[in-house]
Amino acid sequence: MANQQTSLDTVFHALADPTRRAVIGRLLGGAAPVKRLAEPFAMGLPAFMKHLSVLETSGLIRSEKAGRVRTCHLNADRLAAAEDWLSEQRAVWQGRTDRLAAFVESQNPPTK
Amino acid sequence: MTNESELTISRLIAAPPAAVWNAWSIPENLEKWWIPAPIECRVDMLDLRPGGGFVTRMREEGAADFQPHVDGCFLDVVPEKKIVFTTVLTEGWQPAEPWLALTAILTFEPQDGGTLYAARVLHKNPDDSSKHLELGFHEGWGTAIAQLAELTER
Repeated sequence: MANQQTSLDTVFHALADPTRRAVIGRLLGGAAPVKRLAEPFAMGLPAFMKHLSVLETSGLIRSEKAGRVRTCHLNADRLAAAEDWLSEQRAVWQGRTDRLAAFVESQNPPTK
Repeated sequence: MTNESELTISRLIAAPPAAVWNAWSIPENLEKWWIPAPIECRVDMLDLRPGGGFVTRMREEGAADFQPHVDGCFLDVVPEKKIVFTTVLTEGWQPAEPWLALTAILTFEPQDGGTLYAARVLHKNPDDSSKHLELGFHEGWGTAIAQLAELTER
């Protein structure tokens, strides 16, 4: 459990960058070779590889090499872990907002 | 897909902004909704001005002592319009290392004779959500929903 929490830090760090989020978005549609993933971005391959390495460290993606082609895959589980954390947070704030509304409305019944 | 550690929640409340402000700014009112029952909430500090302290404590049913809940600092306060607080700083902008780092931006906007209440909650990343669970944040969700129904149907 403690490890899971720590590793969520690396997931959110990985997701904090727009290039890396775009890569994740792309991989949601299926695995893709590095070269094709890099195409839409105006940066050199070494810079792009650094982004991929952050994603790989976080466990959000994994890659495998076949001949000269390196293909990236999405690890949906890791993405789901980040979503779970956010939905827990959402539940806390949603509940609080609902209770605030209930409290205010019970104190101030609408005049009819 | 939500892919940043930021949450936005909004709700139309059938009462004017002044009433929502009173629910927030008067400690005994805040205690009634800030934490889901049966967990008790105690407001220790609610100094609504930039740099003012914001301290709430919680006690679970049957427990002897109150435990830490929020220990933060207000960053911006506009009566009946806006409250911004963070847990990354405490009273007087003292840097802190909170167990859950967040900044909350709460706005109250008049709309259709009521108030559009919106909360934007920014997180650094999930520091320690296991502690979050231990502290009982999620206990009593069912109760909170039942209470809500009870209050609104009254």
